Amino acid sequence: MLMEINQLAQTLVESFNKKIHSNDIEIPLLSEVASRVIRLTQDSESGAEDLAKLIQSDQTLAAHVMRIANSANYSPNSSLVSLQQAIARLGMRVIADIALAASINSKIFSAPGYSDFIAQQLKFSLHSGVWAKEVARECRRNVEAAFLAGLLHDIGKPVAIHVVINYLQSKNRELPRQEFLQIVSLLGRKLNGFVARKWELPNTVCEIVEHFNDYEQAGKAKESTMIVVAGAHFAQQYSNIEGREALSTDEFLASAVFADLNLYPDDIAVLTEKADLVRQTVEAMSA
Amino acid sequence: MSNVTSYDLVVVGSGPAGQKAAIQGAKAGKSVAIIELDRELGGACVHRGTIPSKTLRENALRVKNMRLNAELAQFELAEDVELVTLIDRLDDVLDAHDHYMRNQIERNQVDLLHGKASFVSSKEIEIKSVRGESRKIHFQKMVIASGSIPRHPGNIAIDHEHIFDSDSILSMLYLPRSLSVLGGGVIASEYASIFQALGVQVTMIDKYPKPLGFLDDDLCTTFVNAFESMGGRWLGNSVVKQAYWDGLSHVVVELENGDQVKSEKLLCAAGRIANVKILDIEKADLQLNERGLLSVDENLQTAVEGIYAAGDIIGPPSLASASMEQGRRAVCNAFDLPVGSMSQMIPTGIYSIPELSSVGLTEDQAKKQCGEPIIGIAKFNEIARGQISGSQQGMLKIVCDNQGQKVLGVSIVGEGATELVHIGQMAILSEANVDIFVESIFNFPTLAEAYRVAALAVIAKRGNRVNSY
Repeated sequence: MLMEINQLAQTLVESFNKKIHSNDIEIPLLSEVASRVIRLTQDSESGAEDLAKLIQSDQTLAAHVMRIANSANYSPNSSLVSLQQAIARLGMRVIADIALAASINSKIFSAPGYSDFIAQQLKFSLHSGVWAKEVARECRRNVEAAFLAGLLHDIGKPVAIHVVINYLQSKNRELPRQEFLQIVSLLGRKLNGFVARKWELPNTVCEIVEHFNDYEQAGKAKESTMIVVAGAHFAQQYSNIEGREALSTDEFLASAVFADLNLYPDDIAVLTEKADLVRQTVEAMSA
Repeated sequence: MSNVTSYDLVVVGSGPAGQKAAIQGAKAGKSVAIIELDRELGGACVHRGTIPSKTLRENALRVKNMRLNAELAQFELAEDVELVTLIDRLDDVLDAHDHYMRNQIERNQVDLLHGKASFVSSKEIEIKSVRGESRKIHFQKMVIASGSIPRHPGNIAIDHEHIFDSDSILSMLYLPRSLSVLGGGVIASEYASIFQALGVQVTMIDKYPKPLGFLDDDLCTTFVNAFESMGGRWLGNSVVKQAYWDGLSHVVVELENGDQVKSEKLLCAAGRIANVKILDIEKADLQLNERGLLSVDENLQTAVEGIYAAGDIIGPPSLASASMEQGRRAVCNAFDLPVGSMSQMIPTGIYSIPELSSVGLTEDQAKKQCGEPIIGIAKFNEIARGQISGSQQGMLKIVCDNQGQKVLGVSIVGEGATELVHIGQMAILSEANVDIFVESIFNFPTLAEAYRVAALAVIAKRGNRVNSY
């Protein structure tokens, strides 16, 4: 069964490679996210903060906004490295236009039966982003970049979901849920780096995404990758998202990345105390 | 698994004070261990302070000079240049420093223990590793050189994301368009002028009327004028009510007079306090003084026999140069070794743009000590080299005794100040008369000629042989 899944994943990667050459890579948005963007940008009563929060809370929307904000049209002379920088440089009016364009023009997720799964994935990526911020803060490293990289560290996954569903539909085929999830996970890991580079996401994000599963090979991006990996560990442990099983406390504390980041047990304890704050932040950003 | 080991000397911290303390102990034949909580050696000085900021400063100076010489080259800093580009080669510098330090420690057979130290008693310390393992070690003598951490005022919401302290300011990935700097001390002045030189719109805010209040007024005024001529804004006599992120795009500083200052980012440089939080100093019967520092006597010993302290943890001057000497002296005193004849005179160097440096007495101090010192001043725009190199914004001041003879102090503002000051330092140490600067020949054209000009001003004032030179 594992071999079949691997073979299917390989087939899908090959199929995806063809799409790369034709520049046809889609990161779909959730329909409700797209709707909220449209609503907020058309509502003169809503504040810029609401839209900023929405953009920063959704992985796929954030990727769309960063891609467009970094394009020659908007940033001909510079390269933006974080959402906060994009907001500061371009202003919320331009960011709103970008978000609106992305929402109208992007593919929307159409995955009947999997909408909960997709929502959980996106929520986990938000948890990872917020936790990566806290780890960066504790380590006195750049918080903005950690958040963006944490949010986008598995950007390959929504693409993988889209690719797998399209493939299955084209073959008039179905997969048992467990196998579907396995193949999405496999394919997503293969696609992470691809998608980040193809969408010209900030170089820091690309490096982190590419080396997320092997930070020892990250070279100069090793520390920033470790921060995001640690953030994802905390998210796994404390997000209480269905399907994300927490480790035992000992196993969690023994995660190699914490020692590699020079986070002592009492530093981890300080971070752990922020679990409620992080959950509240995620809820507030997702509201 | 705990191990108990015993050392003649344990040093907590591997910054300038700790390094020199450990090496001094090793060279005296003692068994020595350094405990360092970071993976890298060198402390805040190397990794968060001196070296990164001076590296950034060098590029800020290049940028400023290139802009001033616009006729030679059309230059503009790339938009949103990444800060890491401006602190270039930092990794190489830090790696080289770490490598050098480790070699030196190894060569001197000092044990390097990676972990967090905390006192068990006045003779025993516990070390916890990153993996939570623990060991205890006994010591005959201890030098606490754990340095300092930024002070966080309660009304400033430091988040290291929009509002930074001096340990996190260089974690920014890109230059902000605008920056508020709270404080008027050395760190505030350095970073404010460096970022302004890089094209960031900087506003310095402090409750005192001028920055760097421990220096003479005219030096401070020259610094403020230079800062403002680069486009910076100095708001003295301004008390901050609170500072916070507005949730979208600005940090807001509310002043007690009702004014508001908005900027993209903010640096809170409100001083530094002793880094003892994890040390459990109470278990060694130690406590901090009212200034949040460890008190020591003239031998650098704390209130507890056998426990010494050196560096930022004991307070000003909080200079790497002073810390190194303190570390060495502390160990000499601890083991009754000859201290040597190292001078007590330590110059102050402020690596702002322009630089400031001072050695010996300032004019204000000399007035308090001897009543009517004779002062000689040379302005850099009167010196040929000042004109040639574009360093017109600067001055050199020689402070002499009431007779206008002995050099008591030298203060300099302008590029090269931190190098030039050593000439004056040598004159003071050799108890030279100010005439030495007139009787000696300096290369032409150099900024050092300012010594001659200032000395002539002193001589003219003392009324002796006005036309002899």
